[in-house]
Amino acid sequence: MPDWGDLVPRLFGARVERREDAALLTGQGRYVADIRLPGMLEATFVRSHVAHAELRRVDFSSALKAPGVVAAFAAADLTGVREFPDYISWQREVRQFPLQRDRVRYVGAPVAVVVASNRYEAEDAAELVEVDYAELPAVLSIEEALAPGAPRLFEEWPDNKVMDLPEHDPEVDRILASSPTVSGRYRMQRQAPCPMETRGVVAELVHGRLTVWSSQQSPHILRTTLATVLGIPESTIRVVTPDIGGGFGGKTHQYPEEVVVAWLAMRLRRPVRWIEDRAEHLVSAVQARDEMIVLEGSYAPDGSITALRAEVICDVGSGEIAMPGTCTSLVSAACLTAAWKIPHYATSVTCVVTNKTPSGAYRGFGAPEAVLAIERFISRVALTAGVDPIEARRKMILDPEDLPYMQPSGNRIDSGSHRAAFERAIELGQAALARRRQETAGDRVRLGLGYCQYVEPTVPSYFGTTGYWTAYDSSSISIHPDGGVRVSCGVAAIGQGTETTIAAVTADALQVPIEEVTVVVGDTDSCAYGLGSWGSRSAVVFTGSILRAAEIVRQKASKIAASLLEAAEPDVVMEEGRFHVRGSSTPAVGWADVATAACVRTIDLPDGVEPGLDASATYEPPNLDHRPDAEGRMNGAATWANGSHSGVVAVDLDTGGVRILDYIVVHDCGRVINPTIVEGQVHGAVAQGIAGALYEQIVHDSGGQPQTASFMDYLLPSATEVPRLVVEHFESPAPETPLGIKGVGEAGTIGPGAVIANAVSDALSELGVDITETPITNRSLLRAIAAAGASRRGASPEEPSGGDAAA
Amino acid sequence: MSTAQAVSHFAISCEVNGTTVDRVVAVRQLLADFIREDLGLTGTHLGCEHGVCGACTVVLDGEAVRSCLALAVQADGRSITTIEGLSGDGLTSMQQAFRRAHALQCGFCTPGFIATLSVADPSDYHDEAGVRQLISGNLCRCTGYENIVAAVCEEWGIERS
Repeated sequence: MPDWGDLVPRLFGARVERREDAALLTGQGRYVADIRLPGMLEATFVRSHVAHAELRRVDFSSALKAPGVVAAFAAADLTGVREFPDYISWQREVRQFPLQRDRVRYVGAPVAVVVASNRYEAEDAAELVEVDYAELPAVLSIEEALAPGAPRLFEEWPDNKVMDLPEHDPEVDRILASSPTVSGRYRMQRQAPCPMETRGVVAELVHGRLTVWSSQQSPHILRTTLATVLGIPESTIRVVTPDIGGGFGGKTHQYPEEVVVAWLAMRLRRPVRWIEDRAEHLVSAVQARDEMIVLEGSYAPDGSITALRAEVICDVGSGEIAMPGTCTSLVSAACLTAAWKIPHYATSVTCVVTNKTPSGAYRGFGAPEAVLAIERFISRVALTAGVDPIEARRKMILDPEDLPYMQPSGNRIDSGSHRAAFERAIELGQAALARRRQETAGDRVRLGLGYCQYVEPTVPSYFGTTGYWTAYDSSSISIHPDGGVRVSCGVAAIGQGTETTIAAVTADALQVPIEEVTVVVGDTDSCAYGLGSWGSRSAVVFTGSILRAAEIVRQKASKIAASLLEAAEPDVVMEEGRFHVRGSSTPAVGWADVATAACVRTIDLPDGVEPGLDASATYEPPNLDHRPDAEGRMNGAATWANGSHSGVVAVDLDTGGVRILDYIVVHDCGRVINPTIVEGQVHGAVAQGIAGALYEQIVHDSGGQPQTASFMDYLLPSATEVPRLVVEHFESPAPETPLGIKGVGEAGTIGPGAVIANAVSDALSELGVDITETPITNRSLLRAIAAAGASRRGASPEEPSGGDAAA
Repeated sequence: MSTAQAVSHFAISCEVNGTTVDRVVAVRQLLADFIREDLGLTGTHLGCEHGVCGACTVVLDGEAVRSCLALAVQADGRSITTIEGLSGDGLTSMQQAFRRAHALQCGFCTPGFIATLSVADPSDYHDEAGVRQLISGNLCRCTGYENIVAAVCEEWGIERS
């Protein structure tokens, strides 16, 4: 594990205050919508209002006469533009052009673009664009997509399966055939990442160079994609990601609007801005989850699972998005076994296309779906075996002596506090429940305790998601003649305090005050190629590359300092940013002296030392697989974080309302750079998980019309829905990452669906309610209560579950 | 209306962050767009443009108002304070509390929270539930509200439950 060596870190592990805050608190942030360039035009997209249709004709004749309109374009007008590349060999190719050509496959699909002198005029004119659609029957669910004779989204395919990876494990078959088994079917609904800042793009062409500002999590990957799709040299493109108002995965994709706005700037020779509105966001930015997991498992008398077979089936919407949405289902498959010792496991993965907005990345990336399924399944197994569900879990959870632990899927769980975190969450949860039992009255209210444990693959292979990039990132360090430090990184800052954390690691690595460090991220002209911020990766990869670059700079600085001190280089040491001869702190030279010699008074440089005091380095995380082995096993992440959550809910039997009274997180992301920032990440992630458990759901009507295209209908929780969050840290250092750190961004989102489903089921255990779906709405819960009652009375309910697919 | 002639523009005079502003605005222009585009005060953010998220909250004659639901012409003869005006030379005491408590991450919603809080009377709030109710009209996607609630309670001397 790369470590500090002789350096004494002062900021690592400390609650360093965020450098971003002073500007953001006073309205001095600079988001993409704040960019206004001379002569700038504004674009509005014409989007399909039907779910599935042949696109016959786009008529701009009225729109072009509208006040302020400069131009309007449809797919056929986009000269020089190519299809988005699809690098993934293990799924069917989805051919996607930035504007729809001959067919629309979801409400919100971009069909045309109108450019005017301001957004009001552009939106007026967009309403005058006449589009001739010949409607086709829409396919809107997994069941409809897989039905025999279902309408197909892509005529060239034999069915609607965009990815279909069967399982074949005779040992699992044998065990299941010869043992008592339990089965279950679990679903997590379609959600939207919904950062508070929508997407937006500004582009201009100056001196033949295209600059694209975009609210993006991966600036270099966008640059590469723009070069490919626009057919222009990548060196002529600069991508800048200014302040980003949240990403949560949705902004890792490369979107049609980014290509089209860039193309408009080239074509019209004027700056062009497009700022998405929320209604657009809720139909055209990627959505996620929408997954069904079917489990069958055999079990031992103690309630532990001896073999497990899973089918993961994901509805990825139309599939028309760069960086396809299929790969979350592979992560679901990988995360299903969490930190449970399940000796035999096989899973098939199927992704279907439907006439809904394309799916993609959203915080958690397949893991929340998996943990909901396995947690509810374990409880069902325990109930069947007649074992206490907590005891059943205790039989299966990883112990320290099991680590590193190779799971049947190929996951290599490198480290963690799996049992300890679980026991702590249970302890805190049980204490909370006992407290609540004292104070909660009402004979129509039931209390329940829920819990879960999970592992999170952090610093994942991007090859597994894109078929192209891997997992590395880059950093560059320059020391200026005044001793100031500039560090640039390939990761992006999307609101998570990245600049503060980068500055702290750099300051420690060079032993300079943090105020001396200037951080540059999110500008492809200033930063070496990197993959951006997603997959709970940034801290590990920027730390790895910063430590390597800093070491090169320190070594060179030692040579120069030795010369300035007229000492032998091996005798020179650096302490607190000063170079001196070992054993005597004077005389000494500082970074400014060394950098002045390196950059300005190069006459002072010793023989053989070249001018300049800067270095660039990359860090490619070791010990992860980018491809499965011959048996289909793959360890897709550099290191695995873990956590256990617990929570107490109150369920109102009359209204079906669920109130979260306590929520507890015991979290382990290895060594922590900045506990304040880590806690903030956990809080926000948990709130999003709670949102998925109880509130948020993208709904379409039977014709494919979105019913949740505003915040009146798509319910982001407010401060009155999210309870107080109690967070405890465990620190199990990652053995192979720099400084033992792991990623943290997504983990908190993984737990709440499972915790609340477990808690509600516990609260209603006397009624036999077994929650299998989220969101758990009042209506779905009342239905589940009624179904459970009917079931007990001997009737046969249609679906004894807590889900509500048509809320 | 007695005349058939549609009025497309209107001259308004208002006070913005203490300075008198005289402008001709399109009658349909949103107050938020007037503030951001015409006046260049981009600290007021648009998160939903339908009055739910609260990111665009400004202070209009002493009241917290969603500038995406108001028209620029409605500001005629009135006084607007945006996040730029609410911030002094440094950080206000509430802004400092936000900073100490890590009550912001991406910062997009933050000016709206600060605006909402700026017109609230702390003596009306005695417990955490009241604070949560007060800020429930402002959505934040990053913090889970935990540290926002902590910041406000700290600033107003409210013991958390």
